[in-house]
Amino acid sequence: MQLLSADVARDIIHHGLSLGADFVDVFIERTQSENLDFRNRRVEDAQSGIIFGIGIRLIYGEQSLYGYTNATDREELLRITGLLGARIGKTAVPGPINFERLIYPKVPVVPDRTVEAKYRLSILRDIDEKLRTDARVSQVMLNYIRKNQLIEVYNSEGLFATEERPYIRLFHQLVMKDGEHQAQAFHGPGAVGGWEFVESLDRGAVVENLLRQASTMLYADPCPAGKMPVVIDNGFGGVIFHEACGHLLETTSVEKKASVFWDKMGESIAHSALTAVDDGTVDGAWGSLSIDDEGMPTERTVLIENGKLKRFISDRLGELKTGHKRTGSARRQSYKFAPASRMRNTYIERGPHAFDDLIASVPRGLYAKKMGGGSVDPSTGQFNFSVQEAYLIEDGKISRPVKGATLIGTGPDIMTKISMVGQDLKLMAGMCGSVSGAIPTTVGQPPVKVDEILVGGEA
Amino acid sequence: MKALLEKVVGKLVDAKAEGDVIYSGGRSLKLSSQKGSIAEYKVTGSRILGVRAIKDGRVGIAFSEALDEGSLGLMVQHALTNAENSEENPYERLLEISGTVRDELTYSETEVSIEEKTRRAITLETAVRAADSRVSAVPYNSFSENDYESAYLNTRGRHTVFADKSYSITTSAVMESGSAKSSYHDYDVAHTFGELQWEKVIRTSLEHAANLLTESPLPTGKYAVVFSPDCLHSLLGCFSNFTSAKAAADKLNPWAEKLGETVSSTELTLADEPQHSGAFRRSLFDAEGVEQKRLVLIQDGVLTNLYHNSVTARKLSKRTTGHASRGATSSLSVAGTHLVLTGKNPKLLPPRYLEVIQMDGLFSGANRVTGNFSVAVKGYLWVNGERTQTVGKCTLSGNLLRLLATAEVSGPALEASTDRSFFSVPLVFHDLSIAGV
Repeated sequence: MQLLSADVARDIIHHGLSLGADFVDVFIERTQSENLDFRNRRVEDAQSGIIFGIGIRLIYGEQSLYGYTNATDREELLRITGLLGARIGKTAVPGPINFERLIYPKVPVVPDRTVEAKYRLSILRDIDEKLRTDARVSQVMLNYIRKNQLIEVYNSEGLFATEERPYIRLFHQLVMKDGEHQAQAFHGPGAVGGWEFVESLDRGAVVENLLRQASTMLYADPCPAGKMPVVIDNGFGGVIFHEACGHLLETTSVEKKASVFWDKMGESIAHSALTAVDDGTVDGAWGSLSIDDEGMPTERTVLIENGKLKRFISDRLGELKTGHKRTGSARRQSYKFAPASRMRNTYIERGPHAFDDLIASVPRGLYAKKMGGGSVDPSTGQFNFSVQEAYLIEDGKISRPVKGATLIGTGPDIMTKISMVGQDLKLMAGMCGSVSGAIPTTVGQPPVKVDEILVGGEA
Repeated sequence: MKALLEKVVGKLVDAKAEGDVIYSGGRSLKLSSQKGSIAEYKVTGSRILGVRAIKDGRVGIAFSEALDEGSLGLMVQHALTNAENSEENPYERLLEISGTVRDELTYSETEVSIEEKTRRAITLETAVRAADSRVSAVPYNSFSENDYESAYLNTRGRHTVFADKSYSITTSAVMESGSAKSSYHDYDVAHTFGELQWEKVIRTSLEHAANLLTESPLPTGKYAVVFSPDCLHSLLGCFSNFTSAKAAADKLNPWAEKLGETVSSTELTLADEPQHSGAFRRSLFDAEGVEQKRLVLIQDGVLTNLYHNSVTARKLSKRTTGHASRGATSSLSVAGTHLVLTGKNPKLLPPRYLEVIQMDGLFSGANRVTGNFSVAVKGYLWVNGERTQTVGKCTLSGNLLRLLATAEVSGPALEASTDRSFFSVPLVFHDLSIAGV
């Protein structure tokens, strides 16, 4: 199915160029979504929907002129193009535009198969029942999300590219209570692909982990406050790199000099133990895509190699403004946003150390087994993260669980303090919110040791 | 507009279902500046319909941004299929109300040209840069103009229409001095271009960014804390499940069984005031078309009410308080309008306290079931009435229940959040944990 005819796309682009734009692109999106909310032992909400719209971008010099609409008629699209082009105040006579369909390597996705609604529901009910075998569980919330995004990109360089991106995710959340004690646990695996992803999940292990996490944190003491070494475990621990460093490497921040790393290309910005990549091509990974939202094939981008800054994450406007080559990283939540340089699957590479060596090297500190969310101010590099599951480390051994830990610091500082990197790399799905909306991204890392972070907790 | 809604409702009736449809649409203009000229110019137009079908006691929801005849039919069919795949829900049905209510707001203002809007938008960057040589970047600055309209119609004939217009501006200052770096941003909202406070937004960003260049951590310990209205609003907003009957029905509200009990300092009263005179946007009716009025949630420390819609009210044997919320893409929930926190017996401020002007990481650092929170904070230390230190690189930890229990009123006059949706007397909270050095 073609969402917008090449003739209409050509007319829009021709109109934009004739108004003086240096470059024009048209992004068309049709996304079908499905959402099943299971809580209180039943389906509380079943919903589905269609998102459809067209985004038109004119670039003139370093200016981005962007508009969008749900309408598909040629006149309305030309009207919006005219409104944008009027800002330029020039006229030009563009040459002919002939679109050539982009052929690109497809990143493999997890296979799909049709399942009946009853069977799908039986899977959710099974997880719910298994989690409720612990009498202290007071609530289970499961959220099954499917999204199929079909995009088309036309541009004034003659590009026509299209991609279908299927997403699937299953959130698990439980609340456990025992008298005045309460704890929550969360797990949200996701992939690019279809139903076989749900079938591939080890539901027994997921249930066991959630119950273990909640029951451990249920009786945990408050976390002590102060500066201390922290061992951050693999998987969602990678959110620290994503927030504290990854966002600062996006040209969206670099171009405004709003990143502390904007002038550090080639310099040592991290401990020599650290190599980090942003990779759009990981098979089936939640943050993977074959082409970005400007129609460029994605790639594996080494950001930091042995502590040295090698590349920024760049899109067309980022390249125009900073000179750093595009990396297939132009992304957006939907047609309602102009594309921006954004992360895909971002992780710290494996290192040489065994997990036990990391723990043994800490006389007194914190073991952050599972991270929660966090945020960063790119202009100062200051970040904050919550820890969902944490333990004290005493005399080189993991001791008692503690709750309410928060980690704060600055990206440049923490990058120099990751002194040991473990071997067991794990990726986890998440959503990243920034200038071009909320997009699926993967974070990841092996276990790492940070020599010192300020841990917030009970004074 | 009504004809479009009637078409969808007609399809529900044809399918022997009841239900409702929501339309949401708008147009907007956004300008932002870099290097003294417009770097981003965005014009938008959007519209979306969301339908809720209730058939045989089952509920299904669907939405569509494509509004042609075929897409409307498909949307209703999807909602009916979702209802079939759902489970029986005896509590979710339409209220017995009908008739039309309109709240279409218009404002008297003189036409402002795009050239003037552009000129003023650019000053959000250039004025900040020109004011202080330590400004190294103004990464976030924008002017926005938004026209918004929504409408609701159900199969029982309840019809509501809402329309409003707003403007917003924001700017930021990133400052550098030696190795120190700081940033701060501020914003303003208004219903007319002429009411926008351009100077205030620029001045506030510069003032706090300059102060934060000297930020330093406090010694780890317990402190009395005063939150800015915006920070207190964020903190209470993060724990909105405490006053939600939907969260109570979902066993996610620790106050579910506390009606009639003391939950805060007896000096505090918390009310929801949909038509508060100082509010930016009044609210006349909720997402089920129920007309709204003042609701006291906490009276002199005692929990008196939770927010209800018709579904939570039926589940918990109460009456709806008129606080249903639903967007075109979401299911029925509850939400407040404008929170007003008043108090009595004001006391003098303590000799030493931390004034918090910025909190980061609240939504990831809060446990909505226990009330525990831990956030990064910035602000000022006050000693004997003087500002003695700009504070940063600290975390603040506490628990909402203990926070409300120890709150002390320190003044009689209501202060508003920047978005004018929250109003509170000045409050001091004692013995909060700060981690610094």
